[in-house]
Amino acid sequence: MKRKKLLALLLASAMAFGLAACGNGDTPPADGSGASSQPTSEEGTPEESSEEPSESSEADAEESTEGGSVAADGTFENKVIMGNTTDLTGDFRFPGWGTSSVGASDQDIGRLTIGYGTQEVAEDGNLVWNDTAVKSHTETENEDGTATYTVEINEGLTFSDGTPITAKNYLATTLSFASPVSMEAGRPGTSGMAFVGYQEFHDYTGEEAEGTSKEFTGIRLLGDYSFSFTVSSDYYPYYFAYTYAAVDPAPLGLVLGEGVDILDDGNGVYLSESFYEKNGDSYVKAAEIEANRYDLTKYPFSGAYVVSDWDASTKQATMTINPAFKGNYEGQVPSIETIVYVKLTQETQLEMLTTGGTDILGGVTGGKDTTAALAVVDGENFTEVHYQRAGYGKIQFDCDFGPTMFQEVRQAVTYLLNRTEFCQTFTGGYGVVVDGPYSPDLAPWRAVQDEIELIDYSFSPETAKKVLEDGGWIYNSKGEAYEEGAEGVDAVRYKKLTADEANVLDGINKTYASVSNTDGVTYQTVEVNGEYYMPLAINWFGSSPNEVTDLISTTLANSSDLAAAGMVVRATTGDFDKLLGEIYREPTYGYNGTPTYGMYNLATGFSALTNLDTSYQWSHDPAWFTNSSNKLYDPYDIDFPYDLKADKLSYEEAVAASGDKLGMDYLSMAMVYNAATEDEFNQWYMGYVERWNELMPDIPLYSNFYYDVYNAKIENFQTSPFRGPAAALLYANVKGF
Amino acid sequence: MGKYILKRLGYMAIVLLILSFLMFFVYSLIPYDRAVAEAEPYRKGLKTTENAAELYQAKVEELRRELGTDQNVVVRYLGWIGLAPINGKYNGILQGNLGYSYSFDRSAREVLADPLKNTVFINIFATFLGLGITIPLGIFCAVHRGSKRDTAVQIGTIIGYSIPGFIISIVFIWIFAILLKWFPVSGMKTPGSSYTGLAELKDRLYYMALPLIVMTFSSLGGMTRYVRASMSEALSLDCIRTARAKGLVEKTVIYSHAFRNALIPIITLVIGWFIGIFSGSIVIENIFGLNGVGRIYILSLNSKDFEVVLLLQMFYVILGLLGNLIVDIAYGLADPRVRVNK
Repeated sequence: MKRKKLLALLLASAMAFGLAACGNGDTPPADGSGASSQPTSEEGTPEESSEEPSESSEADAEESTEGGSVAADGTFENKVIMGNTTDLTGDFRFPGWGTSSVGASDQDIGRLTIGYGTQEVAEDGNLVWNDTAVKSHTETENEDGTATYTVEINEGLTFSDGTPITAKNYLATTLSFASPVSMEAGRPGTSGMAFVGYQEFHDYTGEEAEGTSKEFTGIRLLGDYSFSFTVSSDYYPYYFAYTYAAVDPAPLGLVLGEGVDILDDGNGVYLSESFYEKNGDSYVKAAEIEANRYDLTKYPFSGAYVVSDWDASTKQATMTINPAFKGNYEGQVPSIETIVYVKLTQETQLEMLTTGGTDILGGVTGGKDTTAALAVVDGENFTEVHYQRAGYGKIQFDCDFGPTMFQEVRQAVTYLLNRTEFCQTFTGGYGVVVDGPYSPDLAPWRAVQDEIELIDYSFSPETAKKVLEDGGWIYNSKGEAYEEGAEGVDAVRYKKLTADEANVLDGINKTYASVSNTDGVTYQTVEVNGEYYMPLAINWFGSSPNEVTDLISTTLANSSDLAAAGMVVRATTGDFDKLLGEIYREPTYGYNGTPTYGMYNLATGFSALTNLDTSYQWSHDPAWFTNSSNKLYDPYDIDFPYDLKADKLSYEEAVAASGDKLGMDYLSMAMVYNAATEDEFNQWYMGYVERWNELMPDIPLYSNFYYDVYNAKIENFQTSPFRGPAAALLYANVKGF
Repeated sequence: MGKYILKRLGYMAIVLLILSFLMFFVYSLIPYDRAVAEAEPYRKGLKTTENAAELYQAKVEELRRELGTDQNVVVRYLGWIGLAPINGKYNGILQGNLGYSYSFDRSAREVLADPLKNTVFINIFATFLGLGITIPLGIFCAVHRGSKRDTAVQIGTIIGYSIPGFIISIVFIWIFAILLKWFPVSGMKTPGSSYTGLAELKDRLYYMALPLIVMTFSSLGGMTRYVRASMSEALSLDCIRTARAKGLVEKTVIYSHAFRNALIPIITLVIGWFIGIFSGSIVIENIFGLNGVGRIYILSLNSKDFEVVLLLQMFYVILGLLGNLIVDIAYGLADPRVRVNK
């Protein structure tokens, strides 16, 4: 009997332990005050992603909304529920700052709660001066090659708790995040790198030392509402240089710790001594700054909304209007009283919409999902808004080894892929074919699209053959003439390599071979009478599971046209990290030290036009190399290289000087370092896209439409390529409000 | 008994040490360098700086030193445990540092705290519901073995046992959330609600109901059939025949004699279920959008957040080892023939 009781006690204890462990973990509701800042000048490069369309079940168009948003009298509550499949993490103050990845949901919360930046992203993707926050701004070119941006902010701006916003609030984040103190708190310490005096300030530890300075000479506090940034000659002139002056206000305590002041004695701003106070080897303020990262209650907010509740356990954030907010760069203030941000599940997000679990389903794309989402749109209960994606899906080539190092091969692959059919199949008609590195709504593209001259790469196996023959792919494995219809290793064309071509990357082309040879045939470079002949066998790596990978497999890799042209594409699939590892040749992501693949499929996007800078740079200079993920070395750049320190030529001057042979490196660098006006930028851009179109380092496949399907109770909800659902809510209202 | 438990705990410590090294070693084989990922924002910030490549490489080396990834696997393992200094500091598990999540940019302990609570919360209900239904049902089937009701239960349980959890989830969502609208499709609480006390519990249970039903339904088949088999065997023992011959009432025969005999094999499963309270269901948590351990586990694996994965796996190893010990002790308590003091 005793043993039975003991057993029962054991089981009961297990239950009690479990119950104790699942106590209430909710954070208490915030008091609605707070502030935040994220330096927009540190915008990342465009995302690269695998195109993995979501799968949603068919929804019943007759379903009507439920949930608590409709009152008994038929009126609506002034509340919107918004969802995303990405997890919220609570990192709302500085979403993604200092980490290698940024959560889309955290960014959405940031967009709604961080405001009064000196510059904001406009609907066309440009960073524009925010007239609500900025009273005046000037740009002065200095004799030493630097440039000074002086900004005067408007008086009367306040955080959500009524605290006045002054110039110090605009400088706090840059100063903190440039210092060793915040590096100890987990920040990268790179803020303000473009400004004069960065390195000296960055190296200052609180004690005087040679080569260090407590004063950040490139940043000046000129008054209660005025400050300036001096951009170093390393970073100027630069087409987007004005964006270095893009800063957001932050409460001093949030980013510097309590009791720290910002001072300026005439030589540059500096932080009061308490900022550098140490306890042993550690900075006292580092722990405070680190703890403040997730603060939502102690400090006020500067944006349209304040986070009034954050439940980490259920991943749900509630935001309410910040009554002190005077508007964004267009003076727009919010109307929706409460926004609830919830976590959605890919498999059931459409059902969440139809049953009232969310009011907005954003960014639906892909034929199947778009069709399913549009099935619920009836105009009465649900409606939609759609826009062209600011980006495109593509096949990307490695251009420094193997068959894909040759322009004619890349062009031939393009001719062999029926991109119109591909786009139609993948997007279900909700997308268009693009012919270059742009999306149709991109402002520079719109400016040049009528006059640009591009090669027509319409599906044409015959042209593909001709291009290959012209490029020297006319041999078989014995060095004899290629014969169509041959079998085994002679089923593909071979090209006789020059000594230079054979010796690239320490002679990798001499041993080049196809991988993933599921049919038992391995194509490899052969040596015949001292000459190297390379097979037209492309090793392709695609991420999996991925609908685009599947589609490329059926429409290109396994197509009879490809075989008839004397080419094979060998498919290898794996996860996306492995794909990136191969592209960036990064051993720590699975790259084995030897380039293997010449072709990949992925997508790219722009979050703002400033992204065009790094995404378009092509260079063999190691400092720029990682931006040039195709490893394309344009021969034109060897004859007429770009020199950052040389005189800045206009487009016409450069064309004339180069004999109309401007290379990709030159064009991409001049686009942002020579252009001073929008017209000049567009002119360089056009030249760039035309050269890109000849070299075909990528095959652009499609630019798809994004559909935002939402509850019809929401009015004036207008999303666009650079204004996602969260930003669009600032302009929207609930019916009746 | 005390000596036996101490001896077992000693063995467990050795097993734990060996397993922890093996797991650490396996993850160290995966070609992924955290320092490179961490240096990425720094690289982006360098832009036109003249010696950008050198600065970037120096940053990577600095981060490797900080993270200890420039050391060999044994030193890194000892550093992780807290027996060797990494970057000059002893800062491992023994010092209370359970690891760091680089995806969430916070300590692994913080990352796992809420999901673990949520998982335990739902699993407790699922376990008690499951056991509350399956044990009586199994006994009922064994007692009425061969009857139409037994056959019906057998068919029902084998269907439940055979259908994968994600299909049951989707079907149940369609029936209960879309058609009948009894429960929400997914989520963990009413959007925007700030209930407290009983109202909060009620709201939480409302959102947990559908996943709970799915979990319970999915678990019915296995346990019911197990109990039925065990009880059937017990009911055919000579002692049961003797008990019936003595004229004992059927209820006493079944619950006091037969079930006691059937209990030993069942104990293993029941204790396994309780240990499983701490394990999340990857499928159910993902489909219903529950912030549980199973979801975090798969998220961490996908984002190569190995310190979180290692911590979770170590936790499950410890639970597994403790579970074995509890099962052994429970055998002794349930069956007088088993002695656990050796």
